[in-house]
Amino acid sequence: MTTFTVGWLYPDLMNIYGDRGNILTLVERARWRGFSANVMELGKGVHHGLEDVDVFFFGGGQDREQALVYDDLLELKAEPLTRALAGGAALLAVCGGYQLLGHYYQTAQGERFPGLGLLDLHTEAGARRCIGNVVVDVSGLGLEPSTLIGFENHSGRTFLGPQLTPLGRVMAGSGNNGEDGTEGVAAGNIFGTYLHGSLLPKNPHLADHITTAALQRRGVRSLPVLDDALELEAHRRVRDRELAGRR
Amino acid sequence: MPVRTALAVVAGKATGSLSRLTGRGGGTTFPGDVARYVDPQVLRRLARDLKGGAVIVTGTNGKTTTSRLVHAVLEGIPARVVANRAGANLIYGATAAAIAVAGVDGRLRADWGVFEIDEATLPAAVDEIQPRAVLVLNLFRDQLDRYGELELMARTIQRALEQLPEQSVAVLNADDPRIGELGSHLRRKPLWFGLDDRGAGAQSLPHAADARTCPRCGATLVFDAVYVGHDGEYRCPNGDFARPALDIAGRHLRLEGLDWLGLNLDGQIVEARLGGTYNAYNVTAAYAVGRALGLEPAYIAERLKTVAAAFGRQERFEATGRRFTILLAKNPTGFNSVLRDSIELARGKRYLIALNDRIADGTDVSWIWDVDFELLKPSVQIVVPSGDRAHDLAVRLKYAGVKAEAPQADLGRALDRLLELTPEGEHAFLLCTYTAMLDLRALLVRRGWLRPYWST
Ligand SMILES: [Zn+2]
Repeated sequence: MTTFTVGWLYPDLMNIYGDRGNILTLVERARWRGFSANVMELGKGVHHGLEDVDVFFFGGGQDREQALVYDDLLELKAEPLTRALAGGAALLAVCGGYQLLGHYYQTAQGERFPGLGLLDLHTEAGARRCIGNVVVDVSGLGLEPSTLIGFENHSGRTFLGPQLTPLGRVMAGSGNNGEDGTEGVAAGNIFGTYLHGSLLPKNPHLADHITTAALQRRGVRSLPVLDDALELEAHRRVRDRELAGRR
Repeated sequence: MPVRTALAVVAGKATGSLSRLTGRGGGTTFPGDVARYVDPQVLRRLARDLKGGAVIVTGTNGKTTTSRLVHAVLEGIPARVVANRAGANLIYGATAAAIAVAGVDGRLRADWGVFEIDEATLPAAVDEIQPRAVLVLNLFRDQLDRYGELELMARTIQRALEQLPEQSVAVLNADDPRIGELGSHLRRKPLWFGLDDRGAGAQSLPHAADARTCPRCGATLVFDAVYVGHDGEYRCPNGDFARPALDIAGRHLRLEGLDWLGLNLDGQIVEARLGGTYNAYNVTAAYAVGRALGLEPAYIAERLKTVAAAFGRQERFEATGRRFTILLAKNPTGFNSVLRDSIELARGKRYLIALNDRIADGTDVSWIWDVDFELLKPSVQIVVPSGDRAHDLAVRLKYAGVKAEAPQADLGRALDRLLELTPEGEHAFLLCTYTAMLDLRALLVRRGWLRPYWST
């Protein structure tokens, strides 16, 4: 095993929702397992060595920042990112980053902004902002515990194409679009979600699931077990509180 | 004077005494709700009675402390000053404050008003209060779940400032890039204040900084000095945007402990019983307001010396033979400031940190991942995570490499644990989000360690 590398797309511009928590979780857990780990910051401009990245992270930004990265993403990142993913790297995209994975984002005025087109999904501007804690049933992924918790804050409504599988089903909160009960997307090594609230720290099972997916190509089949009592207790408390509030 | 306003005042006052009598706390905004129900124009009419005028203080951090500083400056004129209570910074809180000092004839018994106003409420407050000056302190990442995004907030503030009466002045922090931008579009030139002491600043932005790019061309801003969060001396490498020239510049900043600072404001030496760089901003801002209102530099400096930290912001007390300091922090920039100051200026080693996620705190706790808790790692001995989201905080500390006690959601138990681990004669810090601070303070009052705040 050489070095576990996290590629952070636009860390200075797309980082409003405590995204550092997701990065720290991936990196620290790798280190606790005895791997060396580092973060490759992929800001605007040309970068080399993207083929060394194991997990890409693409977070959310404010509207203005999102507009600033848009051209750079399509012109300079789309091609090497697609190649790295085809080579077995994993991608976790949250909120604005998640929306940009799809075919397009359509504004309230009907204007369409193309996305990376990595996945068959699209997003439409919604009238209502979905804000609050979310609990998602991800038993389809075979994870233990079978829930994810996070916080959503988005007005875009995302719809998955017929061939795509959602990350899970909403037990509390709005999820992809507030209509069909789905949340996020899980397509091979690509994971998209509206859950920020620092998703990975309180969902260490998902962090490990993504890491495992990325390390397949390096011949790693399973990861050494860590003591997650604290993380899972934080997870359980929020889950129980939110689910109790719905009954 | 319309009878309706007098009725509103009477109704509001009755509500206030009732809620105090029934022990429901300070009764700070409910009287405002009731009075506005009786007369929606009550604040507008009462504000007209202010012979001197009113000052509105807004911004993400420092509103309460700076309002107290401005209050002290105005009070010494001498004048009768009406001010809203800490945290009661929506239109109802301002209304409640006015009612408390109004007579049953519906006339206001005050010459000046100082109102700390939440950023989102600024347009309504400017419209109703018609202030002489509006002070905008800073715009940091704060509670995005409540208000939407910072750019939107900047536009809201700009819109409110455009509506200022002709003879009024906007007093703006030039060091905050978003405020620098919104102020440069105003029809009338604002009064710009800022710090000008590169030796006291850092050279790079903290993780929590979020005004990193040029509002005109999108290039990454260059900072020659960073003082607090993303506030500092900035310029665009393409030359189309830079910090506005300072009208009031804070130089030769000196910091000693958590309760003293000194600086030179355009030749006037100013000292205050407040600590930390963020308070240097608050002091400079209050001084700038005084200058905007035409007061003399030496007089303002004399008045600024009289102010101690606001309730719960930096409150000290002694109990059980130990010393305690309560520090309030509501967002990443505020948290970084109090962490750094308590470590560097007061050699902090023992902490209770309480994180809540109620409406007034912001229901999204993801911001704790933008706080540099790693600062605690080298020197801290004890951290007890507490509050409604104690477990989230404990996870954050774990990933920061800080060894913490087991999370204890209950504040009373957390405090007991801290006492067990803090020897007599030692100093412990109680770092809280807003509602955690209120709960903690109530607990300390019950234990007889502090007085209730509406009697201070
Ligand atoms: Zn520029």
